Amino acid sequence: MEVIYSLWLRDVRKYLRDKARIFGSLAMPFIFLVLFGSGLSGSLQSMMSMGSNAGGLFSDFSYSEFMFPGIILMTSFMTALFGALSVVEDKEFGYMKEILVAPVSRTAIAIGKILGGSTVAVMQGLIMLVFAPLIGVDLSFLMILQLLGVMIIVAFAISGIGLLLATKMKTTQGFQMIVQMLVMPMIFLSGAMFPINGLPDWMSFVVRINPLTYAVDMFKTIILNKEAMNPMMKQALGLDLEIWGMPVTFTAEILIYLVASLVILFFATQSFKHTEA
Amino acid sequence: MMENVIEVKKLRKEFGDLVAVNNVSFNVEKGEVFGFLGPNGAGKSTTINMLCTILRKSGGEGYIAGKEITTDPEGVRKRIGIIFQENSLDSNLTAYENLYMHCQLYGVDKKVRKERINEVLDIVELTDRQKDQVMYFSGGMKRRLEIARGLLHYPQVLFLDEPTIGLDPQTRNKIWDFIKHLKERINLTIFLTTHYMDEAEYCDRIAIIDHGDIIALDTPDVLKDNLGGDVIEISTNDNQRAIEELDTLFGIESKQKDGVISFNVKKGNEFIPGMISKLSPTINSINLHRPTLNDVFLSLTGREIRDEQLTKQDIFKQKMRAGRH
Repeated sequence: MEVIYSLWLRDVRKYLRDKARIFGSLAMPFIFLVLFGSGLSGSLQSMMSMGSNAGGLFSDFSYSEFMFPGIILMTSFMTALFGALSVVEDKEFGYMKEILVAPVSRTAIAIGKILGGSTVAVMQGLIMLVFAPLIGVDLSFLMILQLLGVMIIVAFAISGIGLLLATKMKTTQGFQMIVQMLVMPMIFLSGAMFPINGLPDWMSFVVRINPLTYAVDMFKTIILNKEAMNPMMKQALGLDLEIWGMPVTFTAEILIYLVASLVILFFATQSFKHTEA
Repeated sequence: MMENVIEVKKLRKEFGDLVAVNNVSFNVEKGEVFGFLGPNGAGKSTTINMLCTILRKSGGEGYIAGKEITTDPEGVRKRIGIIFQENSLDSNLTAYENLYMHCQLYGVDKKVRKERINEVLDIVELTDRQKDQVMYFSGGMKRRLEIARGLLHYPQVLFLDEPTIGLDPQTRNKIWDFIKHLKERINLTIFLTTHYMDEAEYCDRIAIIDHGDIIALDTPDVLKDNLGGDVIEISTNDNQRAIEELDTLFGIESKQKDGVISFNVKKGNEFIPGMISKLSPTINSINLHRPTLNDVFLSLTGREIRDEQLTKQDIFKQKMRAGRH
C-alpha cells in the first residue's frame, strides 16, 4: 500500500513543484473559451437571428458556455494521457530501474502511477473552473462535487490508457507522437467543440464509438443542467445522445466508465508487468 | 569456512544467436570486494543484471544470500542494493526525497527512516545538501547519493555496475575511498564491474571476463604473480629475429603486438644488461615494469583491455543493449 502512496505522492509533488506547467496549462483553454468561444458565440447569434422563428429561443445562448464542459474534459483528458509520459521519462532517465528492482509488486507500481496521473488530471480539470465566472457559468457547490466525481472516474480510465501506451513505448518522442495523433481527433469527435447533431453518418458513428463522447456528455449534463433544459434547445445542442436508437442515461455512462476503468486497469497492469527498464 | 553470499553455477544468457554470458560459475564470500573485469561488451553488465533480477537468465543458477534469482526474485531484491551504470535518481526530487522514497519502496520501518537517511547521508558526506533537488548535483555527488540510497535498506550485497564511469579521476578516488570505508565499517559484500585496471586492483578477488567467459579468477596479486615476474617490453629493428633469439638464448616465450615484444622474467632489472649484450638486433627501446592487470589480460587474450577496437560481436552486443533501453 505504501508503495502506491509513495508513487502517487511523487507525481503529485512534481506537478505542484512545476509552476510553469500549471500556469501554462491555462493558456490553451483560455484561447478556446474566451477568444474562440466568445467570438464564435457572437457570430452564431447574429446568424441565427437572421433565421425565421428560433431567434428568441437562442438569444441567451453562449457558445463559450456550451464549450466549457468540453474544455474541462479536454484539459483533464490531455493531462491524464500525457501524465503517462512520466513512465516513459522514467525509462529514459533511468529511474524506472530503481522502481523495478524494488521488492514490490508490479501491480502496485502500476496502480500508483495511474492514481498519480489521474490525481494531477483532476487537479488540472478543477483549475479550469476558474474560467466559470468569466464566461458566465454559475456553478453550485453540488455541481462541483458531481464534476469532481465524474472527473475522477474519467481521469482514472484515461490514465490507464496512457500507462498502457507508455509501457509499449521506448522514447518520449514516440509517445508524444502517438498521443498527439489520438488527442485531437478524439476531442473534435466527442461533442466538446460543436453539437453532435446533423453530422454525416460516418462521423456520427465515430462519435458514438468515441469514449470521450460520453465523458463530455456527463460534464454537459452537470454544467448545462441538461435535465431542466428546453427540449428544443436540448436537441439543437446535440445533448439528446442516443446510441442505436436508445437514449444514453447519465447512470449508464457512469457505469460504462467504471467497468471500462477496471478493464483498462487490468490490461495496463498486465502490460506493465512485462516492461523492462 | 567462509560463508558464500553469492553462488553462481553455470549462469548463461543468450540474446538470439549471441551468447552474452557463457555458463559462468563463481562464488563470492561474505565481506569480500569482488570485481568483474573485462572490456566493454564482455558480459559484465549482463551478468550483474541477471544477478539483480532485472534480466532473466537463459540457464544455470544464481543464489544471493541463499535466494535463487529467478525462483525468488523478491527475496533477492530485499537483500541487495544496486548502483546502476546509468544515473537512476529522480532529479526533480531532493536528495532527501529520493532517499525517503527508497525507504518506502523497500519497506524500511517508518520509525528508523529518518535515522537511516541521516546515517547514509553522513557516510557519503551529503548531509548539508539533502534539501537540494538532485538536478543541481554534480556527477560525483549523484554517484555518492546513489551509493547512499543503495545502502538504505541495509543490503547484504551491494552491486555496483561501473561505479566510476564518466567521473573525473579525483571523484573516482573519492568514490573508491567510500567503497573501502564502507567495507570496513559495515562488513558489506560488494560486487562490482569495471573496465578500469586500477580499480580492479582494489578488489579482494577479481574475475576476468571476455566474450562471456570467465578466463581467470583470483586475487590481483596471484594473477599478476602467475605471469612469472616483471614485464619487459622491447622494440628492435628486427622483432622476428629478436623473438627467436629470446627463445633460443634465454628460453623465453614472448608476444608481439604493435611492434612491441613483451615477455615476463623474474628480476627484470638484472636480466636487461645480459639481454642487451646478447641480442643481435638493435634495441630501440626498453620498458620494465611490475605486471599490471592489463598485462594479465594481454597474456590471457593477446589483446589489451583498453583496446577500443570492437569486434563484430561487440557491436552486435551494444546494439542489443541499446535496444533494451
